[in-house]
Amino acid sequence: MIADYIIQFIIAMVATLAFAMIFSAPKSELLFCGLSGAIGWISYSIISTVLGAPTLGNMIGSLFLTLFSRSLAVKRKNPVTVYLIAGIFPLVPGAGIYYTSYYLIMNNMETFGSYGLSTIKTAGAIVMGIIFGMAFPQSWFNTVFAPSCHKSSSH
Amino acid sequence: MSDTKKVLSFAVELGDILLRNGAEVYRVEDSVLAILNSYDITDCDVYVLSNGIFASADEVTEHASSMIRHVPMYPTHLGRIAGLNALCREVCSKEITLDEAWAKLEECKRIPSYNFPMLIIATAIGCGGFSYLYGGTVLDALIACIVGAVLRLFLHFEARMGNSKTITNVLASMVISLTAILFYAVGLPVHYDKIIIGAIMPLVPGIPLTNSIRDFINSDYLSGSIRLIDALLTAFCIAVGVGVVITFAHFIGGGAYI
Repeated sequence: MIADYIIQFIIAMVATLAFAMIFSAPKSELLFCGLSGAIGWISYSIISTVLGAPTLGNMIGSLFLTLFSRSLAVKRKNPVTVYLIAGIFPLVPGAGIYYTSYYLIMNNMETFGSYGLSTIKTAGAIVMGIIFGMAFPQSWFNTVFAPSCHKSSSH
Repeated sequence: MSDTKKVLSFAVELGDILLRNGAEVYRVEDSVLAILNSYDITDCDVYVLSNGIFASADEVTEHASSMIRHVPMYPTHLGRIAGLNALCREVCSKEITLDEAWAKLEECKRIPSYNFPMLIIATAIGCGGFSYLYGGTVLDALIACIVGAVLRLFLHFEARMGNSKTITNVLASMVISLTAILFYAVGLPVHYDKIIIGAIMPLVPGIPLTNSIRDFINSDYLSGSIRLIDALLTAFCIAVGVGVVITFAHFIGGGAYI
């Protein structure tokens, strides 16, 4: 069980790192992008299997990765977008969007409806996690993570 | 202040490049406003949409100026966003003059993406990884790697033909599902749907969809709608591509392949 999660963590990290390259993230930040993706995925994966609550998992996962991205943004003086966009990639309902439109085209309306709703629910949960993560005051991150006492990265 | 126009054109150009490379609406708005405010231009308004910028400054003085930009949507380039963010901070703290800033802005515009072989490897690894994470077996993941590499090669050569985004997405997803079904048809014990899911990950608009909902919650309803429609259209194109190939495979194989 634990080994399974470790494998998932590593694969999520490598996959996110690879996609961060497609989004042309700076070379020095690739590893951190991968880490933030892995943190988001592993929180989601643990919550959705242990508690059986994938939507809560999505929210907590994106909350953790938003907090992690904001700490990195302050520490490494980069916009939070760099870590956030790369990091939410494993969580975003890419497969859901695909299945939704696939079943629409295959004229399978029932499955289309259920996939469509669950896709919107997933995206909403991720956004809620991001919003909660963004709601923490910037000053907390600045005092804990800033490299010097000087004013640090915006957003 | 006499150089309102100079400051405004720099600020809007920086915002334009930020937006073009996939920055969020609020970040563009904040950056443009921060630059204007750092030059003591406080009588200003900036309105940013996901594909346009409207800005005006010092409307009641003789230096009144305003700008409108249409910004087409391009692929996300996080490196440029990071570079521009650093530049914006330097300008705001007055570490560099506007002329130096223009030179740096030109540099930021030309921050390169990764080279082609690296992109092939990255797409392959990413597709394989996601195929595994979404429930594929190790063999599925390996095949998804190959399909991902094929996808990147296809996108690279297709880009020269100058097709629209719609056609590109349809053709690319057809290539993906054809390759995936080919591996299934030769008798490998693979789940072709898991391979397809992994391999279409570079195309599916998961991030635009999530960003559009973020815009809605930030009450940028118009930007949110633009992104949402873009995301849905992209998803639809991908489904058309995959759907056509799978339907034909059913037809030709008579259910034997699928």
